[in-house]
Amino acid sequence: MSAASPAAGRPTGIDPRGPRFGASITSVLLLVVIGVGLATPLGTTIGERATEPAALLQLLLVALFAWGAFAGIARHPYGALFKALVAARLSPPRDREDPAAPTFAQGVGLLVTGTGLALHLAGVPYALVISASAAFVAAFLNAAFAYCLGCQLYVLLVRAGVLGRRTA
Amino acid sequence: MDPLFIVGTLVALVAVSTLLGVVVRARTGRVRSDGQNVDTALTDPQAEFTLLQLSSPVCSACAAMRRISGQIASADAGVGHREIDVTEHPELVRDLGVLSTPTTLIVDRDGRVRSRIIGAAAAATVRDSLADARRSPVGAVA
Repeated sequence: MSAASPAAGRPTGIDPRGPRFGASITSVLLLVVIGVGLATPLGTTIGERATEPAALLQLLLVALFAWGAFAGIARHPYGALFKALVAARLSPPRDREDPAAPTFAQGVGLLVTGTGLALHLAGVPYALVISASAAFVAAFLNAAFAYCLGCQLYVLLVRAGVLGRRTA
Repeated sequence: MDPLFIVGTLVALVAVSTLLGVVVRARTGRVRSDGQNVDTALTDPQAEFTLLQLSSPVCSACAAMRRISGQIASADAGVGHREIDVTEHPELVRDLGVLSTPTTLIVDRDGRVRSRIIGAAAAATVRDSLADARRSPVGAVA
């Protein structure tokens, strides 16, 4: 006697391996930001800080996260790359997943890398390295362990009272 | 900065992340005994045990767990499946100390939480937990 659940019966979803493939590319790019960021001394002017290689690469990552967060993970360029290069070589997915979870994770990535970039431009030392490291942990766990950021973080936000209907 | 330090930092970051992943994976799909209570309005009144699944809207594993719990409930007349959104029950989430979704509670007719399953679990794990709940007398938590 299975009851109709509120979220049941969503028709189709995306191949869950698509976002994981994207996260693996993101992880590598974030490692490059960290490595290059550590190797480059902090620029003295905002122009210098904006044009240093780690900042430019971080800007690219911010743009990619924004694409995923606002256009949805299903329209992300990595998704097209996954379909063209990877999906055809794999067996069809066992499950399909709701794109809401990886789209939420893209939003978190945007917030973390965007904040880091803004602080870096403002002259905060190691802002790029620290924000890219935080984003790397989440992206790497997603790519390697199918970690679902939305499954954990969302509940914590509900508990903190940031999200959810107030009943008290 | 010293290139060796940079390489060391990158290696350490990957190592720490891998360790974290192993820990998170080990904690997923595990069962914990429980002694708390939930409102019986949240349970299936016709079932001996309800698989009360706490889900969030942005949760991939919730869909997998929904399928498994739904199949078990369909096959076993004594088991019901209910799914609630944590967004609508923030007080329940706090009272029960739920830290991630999906968390599936095995609740008896009186609203007692017999055990909880954290993360998407294998069907066999859910069946074993139900069997434990049936074996253990009311009040004694397995």
